[in-house]
Amino acid sequence: MSHAPRRLLAALGASAVLVAAGIAVSATGGAKPASPAPPASALFRGIPERDGVLGNPRAPLTLTEFVDLQCPICAAASRETLPWLVEKYVRTGGARLELRILHFIGPDSERAARVAAGAERQGRLWPFVEAFYAAQGAENSGYVTDGFLRSVAKAAGVDGGKALAAADGEPALRRLERADADATRLGIRATPTIAVAKGDGPPKPVGSGVLSHAALAKALR
Amino acid sequence: MTGRAAHAGRHPAARRASVAVAAAGLAIAGYLTVAHYAGAAPVCAIAHGCATVQKSAYADLAGVPVAALGLLGYLAILGSLAGDGERARTITAVLAFSGFGLSAWLTWIEVAELHAICPWCVGSALCMTALAGLSTVRLA
Repeated sequence: MSHAPRRLLAALGASAVLVAAGIAVSATGGAKPASPAPPASALFRGIPERDGVLGNPRAPLTLTEFVDLQCPICAAASRETLPWLVEKYVRTGGARLELRILHFIGPDSERAARVAAGAERQGRLWPFVEAFYAAQGAENSGYVTDGFLRSVAKAAGVDGGKALAAADGEPALRRLERADADATRLGIRATPTIAVAKGDGPPKPVGSGVLSHAALAKALR
Repeated sequence: MTGRAAHAGRHPAARRASVAVAAAGLAIAGYLTVAHYAGAAPVCAIAHGCATVQKSAYADLAGVPVAALGLLGYLAILGSLAGDGERARTITAVLAFSGFGLSAWLTWIEVAELHAICPWCVGSALCMTALAGLSTVRLA
């Protein structure tokens, strides 16, 4: 055998070893497994929820949050901003909260959004979303199984069987379509984004990401 | 003239093309590396395949950003192209074949697992494919 084919074969062989090692590390590394959903907090206790609207339906301010349930920044915003908003504005009757669940990150997002719509029909959308964030896994890792969704539903006080059954229905699909349409209409390009409507005025996006309390208070003045 | 000397300097056009392609790959990998470290944009961007890919569990390999590994790979390929002996051509080929294999794997992950395509990553994969082809020509 001449030098050239030998060197080509040697190069291919060495590369194959390197690629196999890289794939082995890549395939096993990094994926954050979903954790079991912890019990729901008392954050929403005593606050009315109807059709996914949390708080006094006649409140002068409406905050609409656009999220994807797989989005880790949405989970961070829920942990860092939502309790403050709920205690300062919603529980006092100053604002009502609405949620638009998008599903752009991947198939797990759509399944999660559909089951959340099922929880909404039981008046438990917000506890379901909070419980989902608490157990959130790595994006598109396939963790949003029926078993996972049932554990989230249980933690949120939702009938998991009914929520999963509702996920395949027309109302769940309409919820997804409404969220997409509202995001398009408001030009929303990222999650989480909060839009604020004052009185009967149109909603206006006030910021994306984990907003500071000061920034939100200014937007709500 | 010895066999080694006879091989040296063959396929100068393929070598020049390799340098150009590796430079293009270096620019792409450099951009992706900067985006990875600066891109702690605290939002999840809609309809942005690169953001999805960069934030996925596959964006790192043993804790090192894949973009940075690509940057190092292209630098090493450019370094190996400084020489034109058999050993240098073999080293270029090993690096290019490895880059091609890993790029193919990551592209498959984008399509099959993440359902997101990052055009910059595809551009780098095309560069690695071209480098693998050119390396074969130079080694044959």
